[in-house]
Amino acid sequence: MADHLKDNVVQTVLGPISADELGVVLPQVQILSIIPGAEFAPEIEMDQQKQYDALKVALIEYKRLGGQTIVDNGGMFKGRNVQLYRTLSKETGVHIIASTGLGPGTMVGSYFTTQQTEPPGPMPLDRLAEMFANEITKGTVIPRRERTGPAGLICTAANKDGITEFEKHLYRGSAQAALQTGAAVSIQAGKDPVYELDILEKEGLDVSRVIVGGLDSLDADERGDALTIARRGAIVALDHAGWTPNRGYVSNDRRAQLVLELFKEGLGDRVIISSNAVGYAVGHEASQIGFDHVLTSFVPMFREAGATEEQVKQLLEVNPQRILSLEGEKGLFKPEVEGVDITWVK
Amino acid sequence: MGKINTVLGPIATEQLGVTALHEHIGFGLPGCDLDTKWWEARPKMLEVTINKLRRFRELGGRTIVDCTGIGTGRDISYWQVVSRVTGVNIVPMTGFVSGDTVLPYFRDKSIEYLADLFYHEITVGIEGTNVKAGAIKAGVSRGGLSELDERVYRAAARAARAAGVPILTHLSIDADRQMDLIEMEGLSLDRIVIGHSDGKEGLDPERDFRIAERGAYVGYDTIGFDTEKGTPEVPAPFWARPKGERLDQVMNLFNAGYANRAIISCDANCFALGWASTEHSVAELLENFIPDLKDRGVSDETVKMLLVDTPASFLTMQDPQPNLVEAAKKATAQV
Ligand SMILES: [Zn+2]
Repeated sequence: MADHLKDNVVQTVLGPISADELGVVLPQVQILSIIPGAEFAPEIEMDQQKQYDALKVALIEYKRLGGQTIVDNGGMFKGRNVQLYRTLSKETGVHIIASTGLGPGTMVGSYFTTQQTEPPGPMPLDRLAEMFANEITKGTVIPRRERTGPAGLICTAANKDGITEFEKHLYRGSAQAALQTGAAVSIQAGKDPVYELDILEKEGLDVSRVIVGGLDSLDADERGDALTIARRGAIVALDHAGWTPNRGYVSNDRRAQLVLELFKEGLGDRVIISSNAVGYAVGHEASQIGFDHVLTSFVPMFREAGATEEQVKQLLEVNPQRILSLEGEKGLFKPEVEGVDITWVK
Repeated sequence: MGKINTVLGPIATEQLGVTALHEHIGFGLPGCDLDTKWWEARPKMLEVTINKLRRFRELGGRTIVDCTGIGTGRDISYWQVVSRVTGVNIVPMTGFVSGDTVLPYFRDKSIEYLADLFYHEITVGIEGTNVKAGAIKAGVSRGGLSELDERVYRAAARAARAAGVPILTHLSIDADRQMDLIEMEGLSLDRIVIGHSDGKEGLDPERDFRIAERGAYVGYDTIGFDTEKGTPEVPAPFWARPKGERLDQVMNLFNAGYANRAIISCDANCFALGWASTEHSVAELLENFIPDLKDRGVSDETVKMLLVDTPASFLTMQDPQPNLVEAAKKATAQV
């Protein structure tokens, strides 16, 4: 890889860059979010030009506000379009990091859950891990045609009613892929974040490489999950900024307090902030919260609550830059043909 | 006189000719496209596919029904190329192979929604094209008929009544319940093939007679999935049968006078998507199975009935009754 890359390398859809080039990062959002199957429904409009235009406007506004990087945590089966992301990144100058991974179980196709074997079973663990790892080292897949720019993160999620057996399988596969590549794992926690973190840790993954999302839900706040998870060494994602108690999440006031509490406990290097925004939703309702919300609403409130500029920087830049960096070189993107964007099908 | 929808537009019943009612250009479970293990360059896929269909045509074959439902590899523009190049008519289907292949967007949809979806694909077009479906797929999930499967069956029956097309199913498991659902929705059982009655999965030869007696069609439509074809590299799939055993089963029904209640097809994939198929082709229907039937004394007239007459009467669209979808909706609303 190029010499300008220092120790910390992050993989954007346009290839690896040095982590300090990321600047202000918005993690834990979805750029394009399509419920699997919606593309086959006659009432659904699949118009890439509309998607592109809306996303470009949102990214330019995000950049105007000082944002430099955005991280799509949708994984490989919820509408991810890395070709579109690459064009958007080139046109807007915003770094985009795409993710591999699957989940929650309700959003997964039966190829992964119910293979044509007797008895039926999920895709074997080693194959899942291989598939995720290859998206990081060889590039993300565009079905049955090519591989393009790499994934930089492994994302999975559990059911809100509690993690299922299949989702545990996905968690384990994600952990194994993380071990193989040095990429971080981001989970959107279900009912029991501590137990879900255990699953990843048992697989041998260092919990400092795990982002636990959804810890600003009312339930998680009541249990004190943010502190518990941070003390374990994992990364706390308070990633529903702008969401409100009537939708099951704490207010921004409380969210800012939670971040300050973590700093007070000396755990300020283990928290990130996001809005779980969806840039463009197809086939489902999404919150109206945009990519701008963290910078326009949360950060001013955070400052007002007493945060220092150093803390703001830690939250928006230092922490996400560190977490998104690959550990070691084993996961570094190596396209089969050096200098070429695509790898054709054999 | 009659009409059948194909990927290149409607054709007359008389143009169908020798027809295999349950085949696939390529079937794969949703998500398999993301696993590069199964990727093959399109030119290679196309070559293999064309060769198999050309062979079918050289042996007298003229039409296949592609039983790949929504989201499992159905690819209209690709199939149009295949049909143009080979001259084989391809009848596309709406519907779902089974509940467990239904993609997340559709999993919680109502019977009314699903009936509208199928009706739309038969009368307006599939996935934004003007290519219309000629039949409806429904089927049984692994582990038996599920609640979602039942919704799909009911919706399929409603759309079939309204649009005049028939239904073909994946699996004969819970056949009695399948037929009950169809009848409850007011569709005549001669508009449904209960599929894969000859497969090992849930095998029950006694059931064939019940299907025939109730007036539905027994689908002997996994012909060529023979256990003998298994190799160490590609073992025969779990639904495969010893070749002779399948023939015995078919002949038992025929000898009881029910050849007119059966259909024969291969369920062969020209190019399987996301799974390893043993060597298989729709051409085997004409190359191997018909000679086997003749060896067992099946007459030329019966062969013609199986290959031409039954498929023609089954596939020919009946008078559409579009008001039925509306009527069913109103009836449900009143309950
Ligand atoms: Zn089939």
